[in-house]
Amino acid sequence: MDKRTFLTWADRNARRIGVKKELVIKAFEKDMTTQTGADTPFEIPDTMHVNMRYSYGGQSRFFREILENKRIMGTRCNQCDKVFCPPRAHCPHCYEKTAWTELKGTGRVLSYTTVYFATSSYIKQVPYIVAYIKLDGTDTAILSNVEMKDIKRARVGMQVKVVFRGQRDGRITDIYFKET
Amino acid sequence: MRKVGVVGIGTTQFRSRWIEKTYFELAFDAVKMALDDAGIAKDKIDCVVYGIYNDFFERQFQPDLFVHDYIGMAPKPAIRVSTGGATGGSAISAGFAQVASGLYDVCLVVGVEKSADCFDYETGKSSPEVLKAISYTADMTYEQPTGRTAAGSFALTTIAHLEKYGNPTEMQMAKVSVKNHRNALLNPVAQSPIALTVDDVMRSPMIAYPFKRFDNCLYSEGSAVLILSSEDVAKTFKKPPVWIRGIGAALDWAVIGNRKDLYSFESSRIAAKKAYAMAGIKDPVDEIDLAELHDAFTGTEIIAYEDCFFCKEGGGGRLIDEGIVERGGRLPVNVSGGLIGCGHAVGATGIMQANEIVLHLRDEAGNRQIKNAKTGLVQSIGGPGAAWTVCLVLERDRI
Repeated sequence: MDKRTFLTWADRNARRIGVKKELVIKAFEKDMTTQTGADTPFEIPDTMHVNMRYSYGGQSRFFREILENKRIMGTRCNQCDKVFCPPRAHCPHCYEKTAWTELKGTGRVLSYTTVYFATSSYIKQVPYIVAYIKLDGTDTAILSNVEMKDIKRARVGMQVKVVFRGQRDGRITDIYFKET
Repeated sequence: MRKVGVVGIGTTQFRSRWIEKTYFELAFDAVKMALDDAGIAKDKIDCVVYGIYNDFFERQFQPDLFVHDYIGMAPKPAIRVSTGGATGGSAISAGFAQVASGLYDVCLVVGVEKSADCFDYETGKSSPEVLKAISYTADMTYEQPTGRTAAGSFALTTIAHLEKYGNPTEMQMAKVSVKNHRNALLNPVAQSPIALTVDDVMRSPMIAYPFKRFDNCLYSEGSAVLILSSEDVAKTFKKPPVWIRGIGAALDWAVIGNRKDLYSFESSRIAAKKAYAMAGIKDPVDEIDLAELHDAFTGTEIIAYEDCFFCKEGGGGRLIDEGIVERGGRLPVNVSGGLIGCGHAVGATGIMQANEIVLHLRDEAGNRQIKNAKTGLVQSIGGPGAAWTVCLVLERDRI
């Protein structure tokens, strides 16, 4: 198609998928304005997008305590006494109810990795550390980020403690860990 | 339970992008190949199982509906299976059950996947957006928001294993990469046939420590199909059947922090044990002639040697150092090139692996044929830290 028709097409599609017009033009200009046969594969800009209001259900208190009170909570099984963090409303072993219990927020890194190539949502933040941390007083491990000046110093067995971000959204990323 | 055999196979080329085909057209190509291979028309099929992993990849939720329509299988019964990277293996397992139970005689198992239609406009690349599509299959409440990637979830286990046993070292992982890329040179459907050196791998950019660029499989697009038949009618097809002698499957704690240990894949150990018990295999190294293991990452292939009982726990690194798993070794692993060399078209991968074994058991693998192969193992794993594993033992009739 000619340049002017293309620009109108790119603009309309960019609006539809919620991407900057310049980026759509960059991705499609060559393919769309070069003369090609009718059977050449034809691509369109597209997206799949759903807005939500997600309920944390029985996990709600965990996220509310972090957001409002900077407290980290686990749950304890009423039957077997195991403590879970991430918390769960029921014990997966006994099928009994659990009760909320406050944790100290200190723990130990069981394993970690440093991410250098990430999804489009995180690619600007690399490199960053993701680790399984066993919080003191719990029987499971929680996945979280560990922030440290020298990321090459990350080790299995590292002692860490929870940090609450200044700006919190009600998501698990409201917390991260640092070395103690 | 009835005996079930593979009587037809078809695998398209695995590529980084099949821009000229939609997912349902790709599936069509592999279905046609499998029907031709079996020497039957489509009306001989009694039921279909679809293995398709990620709905974003196809830009279509419930994509099986539209494959079924396109390949003209209406109104035959069909189900879709989606178990992450293990989707292909699980689809075969579901197809096996359809036939072994006596419910149907001939089952078509169709694995297909696109991925590279996902596109990140900011970087002008597919990969970050493909990873984003994958990230929605991680636990959305506690884990996905941390930015852990698929490679990251397997890296966590690999680091824990390294900490406990001192291997796999980065050098051992590099050797696996070299092996699988090299094996792919002989496979006409492979996406990444590359002659690499250990140095090339060691110098490639870090993706998720300790995995580097060449320690990772690539996303592929492609389709792989096989046809399963009951023993009663298995002899009516063009080629001799390859029997599924053992199947084992497990789904471990998907939130990895709930597991007893982080340093091995319990699902893989259980699946292998069950598959061996069903097939009557006592010494896998002695009785298995070749294996296609799920090498999404080099480190996990090495852990898979242990999980499939090719050696003791902690002994995996030695098998690559000693060349046991090389093409000419005692137990060749991933002669197709595996996911690293041949590619990872997720829903199709487990079926591609099984089809590779079938070629060898039929003596049809051409210049990459493993001589006198009678028994082969497929390991198909998926989900965070190999939550799912399916193992299959395939065997030809002994003449």
